[in-house]
Amino acid sequence: MEREVVESELVLPTHLNFKKLQMYEKYPKGQPRSRHWKHLKQILQADNFQNYPPDEPNYVNIEAPPSMHPPKRVCDITGYEAPYHDPRTNLRYANAEVYKLIRSLPNEYVQRYLSLRNAAVVLK
Amino acid sequence: MPFISQIERQTDYKSFPSSCPIVIDNGGSYFRIGWAGECDPRVIFRNIVQRPRHKSTGETVSVVGDHDTGLLKYFDCTRSGPRSAFDNNVVYQFEIMEYILDFGFDRLGVDGHGVDHPVLITECPCNPVSSRCRMAELLFESYGVPSVAFGVDAAFSYTYNQRLGICDKEGLAVCSGFNTSHVIPFVEGEPVFEACCRSNVGGYHVTDYMKQLLSLKYPQHMAFLTWEKVEDLKMEHCYIAQDYSSEVKLFQNKTKEAEEKTRCWQLPFTPAPVEEQPSAEEIARKAAYKEKQGQRLREMAESKRASRINELENELRGLDFLLRQVEKVDDDSVPEFLSDTGYLSKQEIESSISKVNQSLRRTKREQVELEEKAEAATAEKFPLVDVPDNMLTPEQLKEKKKQIFLKTTAEGRQRARQKRAEEELQREKHNQLEEEKRLENPEAYLEQLRTKYKGLLEKVEQKKLLKSNGNNSNGNPTSGGVGRGERMNAAKKERMRLLTTAAFDRGKGEDTFGARDEDWQLYKLMSKDNDDDDEGPDEDEAELIRISSRLQDIDPTFTAKPESGLRQTADVPRSRTLTQEDFQISMAVERFRCPEILFNPNIVGIDQSGLDEMVGVSLRRFSPQGKGLEEKLTSSILLTGGSSQFSGLSDRLEAGVRMIRPCGTPIRVIRASDPIYDAWRGASSYAASLHFPQQTFTKMDYEEKGEDWLRTYKFRYSL
Repeated sequence: MEREVVESELVLPTHLNFKKLQMYEKYPKGQPRSRHWKHLKQILQADNFQNYPPDEPNYVNIEAPPSMHPPKRVCDITGYEAPYHDPRTNLRYANAEVYKLIRSLPNEYVQRYLSLRNAAVVLK
Repeated sequence: MPFISQIERQTDYKSFPSSCPIVIDNGGSYFRIGWAGECDPRVIFRNIVQRPRHKSTGETVSVVGDHDTGLLKYFDCTRSGPRSAFDNNVVYQFEIMEYILDFGFDRLGVDGHGVDHPVLITECPCNPVSSRCRMAELLFESYGVPSVAFGVDAAFSYTYNQRLGICDKEGLAVCSGFNTSHVIPFVEGEPVFEACCRSNVGGYHVTDYMKQLLSLKYPQHMAFLTWEKVEDLKMEHCYIAQDYSSEVKLFQNKTKEAEEKTRCWQLPFTPAPVEEQPSAEEIARKAAYKEKQGQRLREMAESKRASRINELENELRGLDFLLRQVEKVDDDSVPEFLSDTGYLSKQEIESSISKVNQSLRRTKREQVELEEKAEAATAEKFPLVDVPDNMLTPEQLKEKKKQIFLKTTAEGRQRARQKRAEEELQREKHNQLEEEKRLENPEAYLEQLRTKYKGLLEKVEQKKLLKSNGNNSNGNPTSGGVGRGERMNAAKKERMRLLTTAAFDRGKGEDTFGARDEDWQLYKLMSKDNDDDDEGPDEDEAELIRISSRLQDIDPTFTAKPESGLRQTADVPRSRTLTQEDFQISMAVERFRCPEILFNPNIVGIDQSGLDEMVGVSLRRFSPQGKGLEEKLTSSILLTGGSSQFSGLSDRLEAGVRMIRPCGTPIRVIRASDPIYDAWRGASSYAASLHFPQQTFTKMDYEEKGEDWLRTYKFRYSL
């Protein structure tokens, strides 16, 4: 290891005196990780919030409901207000200039613009 | 103002008694650790871990937080990017969490056996109990912490500001963090989680949105748009518009105000070396050199021609001499005499003399009329043509056939020449006529010519378009959604039609295909060769070329139209040299479009209400007995959390809340004294209070009472 790297203490030491259980004891090297960390979705499922009284606050029921305001239609390219919608690409656009641009956009970019508002075609 | 981590190792760990709690604010973006009762956290770093591979030794190491990027050159970071222990605002990856805690405790200066201090650590509101259990387990088992307490960061921030007198006992904390935003009502200084509200939009989404937008806008500068840089840009330039639609109108109408609001980020740019224009001297020198070369070539050609003439003349002289010699000899002994010269007869010598003569003349450039004369001479050379077949021997018959062929071709050539001459004459006449017309009324003539040119140009272009069938209408053939039909040109389409009808006809009834002769024409139409569109320049094109050349002669303002306007414009930027402006990232609408997602999560496809609506939701969620409090709550709305620092946020929130509350409701939106550190400071002062030990639980408590108890574990903030 290079001297400047060691001096800056960039790398976390593998053995720390103050720990009761070292990292390498917990997760032995070379062995497959027996443990898969549950993602939030799985954690929530396992927690079975449906079984708890509804008036008690929990992670799921404190979530904000969908907005009551009419959704704002924003031009995907410029951010202007978008009265139009291109049926071929599904992009929203503000004026003829932007329309010209979106018609010349490669499909990859169209999909990236769509994925910004979670509307891209997802292949599974 | 990029945030710099604070990771120096502390040395005064030993001076703290074991009763002094360690306070950790485990935030989505930053991890802050310090001592209870102190004003500022000791160690601050980004809450991420990287596990790169060391380049020379090949071992995988753990790097926590942000470090000097210069040192990372020794590591191969391509395999794994920075990772966070959070999924949304819940800790789920406890291996990463352990690395982070290791680093935090290490830098706080912990040594000896175990971390012998109570720990107060923050968590999200209504943290799922399994996440809370794992965290407690980790702290107890790996670090030997005697006791632990969990609290909510936003609540600490609110109580801290309440103590400072910034907000009231009853109020709302609007906390916009890295992954999520919360609205939490407070009554008597205690958070009411029953009525709190969370949306999954935070600073992370703003930065991500901005990064995506900018890299889509400037795909050529994607390498510059790193996460850290965009985060800095966001903190420096983003603001919340008071009214999105009117703000965006400013930019749409390109007003002066909008221009002033546009920010530019200049990327490092080194101008391309400019090629110096050659000086006049240089040009003259080059021209002279060219001229000299040309002269030399011309001389060479001249000398070659002279030597060739000389050679031919010599040959001619020799042949003349030979002929004269042959004439002196009697006819019988001619073959013998000629045996060593290679010629067989006198005629042969004569013919070769005429050949040499011809080539001599050709080299002397005199051939033009002679050829015609020669051909005229050959005209009489078909003696056998008019003789009836029955009078000829088989050999003569063959000869006759040959002669007939030669004669017809000669005649054909003659006719073509005549026709050409006639055409020339016609054109001459036409030109004269036009010239007269022009002299009569030059203006009208020019106008006429121009309209004619325009019409023709359109016609020719139309034809071209038809042939390619506008597959370039998009300017880009790879663009999405181009159907099959649109990609084919007219000829291909026709072929496709024929094929499909042929196939379709097969299906029904009796197969009579081929019964008529016309049926077989179909194959010709279908075959690929049919759509050879190179029939040479057609009439219109020839006419167009003629007119444009004529226009060029007489009209000084005329410029021939380029092939296609579209392609021309597309080519322009490619050919010009790059300037400083090409290395600028300008932010106009993006400055307020990105943080707008806090108020309109719909923009990024998150179907939840924005901050202002969340306040309304929170007030609605209040149980009936809390009804009277609403006015009190709205008159003390505290803004806290990293994403609440956008300028214009408090005004916008106030306007938004005013819209959903009854008229005349007192509304007061206040900024926290320090939206980033207040949570830690609140926790620190709380942990320093005498009541804190009652709020903690030990490993024994946890093991005895179990998970269910931890679920109902409730922390009291107001003591």
